[in-house]
Amino acid sequence: MICTVQERRPPARREEVGVQSRDVRDCSGGTPKRELQRAGPDQPSLGSFGAAGTGAPRSVLARERARIARAMLADCRFCAHDCRVNRLAGENGLCHAGSEVRFFSAQTEVSDELELTPAFNVALSGCDLRCDFCITGASSWNPRAGAGFDARAMAKQAKVALEGGARTIQLLGGEPTVHLPAALEFVSWLPETARLVWKTNAYGSATARELLDGMFDVWLADFKFGNDACAQRLAKVPDYVRIVQENLLWAAEHSELIVRHLLMPGHVECCWQPVAEWLAENLPGVKVNLRSGFWPAWQAARHPELRRTVSGPESARAVDLAQSLGLNLVP
Amino acid sequence: MKKHRSKNDCASPGKDQVSELLILPDGQILVHNLTPAFAGLLHELNPDDEHISSRVTRHMSPHL
Repeated sequence: MICTVQERRPPARREEVGVQSRDVRDCSGGTPKRELQRAGPDQPSLGSFGAAGTGAPRSVLARERARIARAMLADCRFCAHDCRVNRLAGENGLCHAGSEVRFFSAQTEVSDELELTPAFNVALSGCDLRCDFCITGASSWNPRAGAGFDARAMAKQAKVALEGGARTIQLLGGEPTVHLPAALEFVSWLPETARLVWKTNAYGSATARELLDGMFDVWLADFKFGNDACAQRLAKVPDYVRIVQENLLWAAEHSELIVRHLLMPGHVECCWQPVAEWLAENLPGVKVNLRSGFWPAWQAARHPELRRTVSGPESARAVDLAQSLGLNLVP
Repeated sequence: MKKHRSKNDCASPGKDQVSELLILPDGQILVHNLTPAFAGLLHELNPDDEHISSRVTRHMSPHL
């Protein structure tokens, strides 16, 4: 369930790695869509709001970026689905989120990576993926679940948690990228010294990354699927692998990065193995949390192989593979 | 497999803290959203479980 720490390796030599840009294809039939991951001429440049070189406190930058992000809801491009809907006018994209932000959980937990816990975890409702096995599917798929999110009030709660012994404040979902303006506003109300964790599915856009640059100390990013076929079948998400890899490479350069992989029954060879091999080759030394506590939640039963938990031999095989590749497993 | 919640029947943003358990036929327990209080309880039930003991926090404020 919880793996031991392996020998650390030197940081990645990122000049040697890279991800090729290419057209993003939609789910329906491979129609090329606009390139999402590179800022085009019609995308606003956020360079002047970058953390580097401005000297402005994080809270100030976060407040300004929250304002910018809120305006961007009129043409939502926060994630790689690139829906470009006007959420301010009531239009919904694939995540179904509008301009209202809700949360379904806010509490201190100790189930995340040991170096991050106890963590005050705030889970925002709504997600841009449709993982049939999502353990919080009812709330994650429904942006109207839970209660209204007041960034300032939640920041007060987070401060109480910090004073009570929490080591980090973690924003998650669902997928917090969907609610980027509220996430940034939340950051703006938090103490400058607070250690902030961005728990993400790593399917965000380049625009989202720019807005997030310097805001969170740690990116805790899922790399769920090792191939696009499994991603499409189990989470209805296109072009998954390329986009996640690009985000992980970016995150490793701009913050601390911990990559999570939830081991799924029957997916050691098709998903974990390619993920592990890519991490070993492209992000050597990156912290990896291999989680084997899968349980068949939500709509997992739609997929025969997901109707059970991970077996002991599967778990052992996955750890063996990680060790043979020299991955830096963290508990 | 039996699934239990420590409090409500649905995830709640209210004051109640929620952890979820999945108890497997072989006695193995999987936990989601493990709170400090629930970690403490599980630790009392099985002090030898190193997965849980590493997560027990003794310095947390009791109201968290």
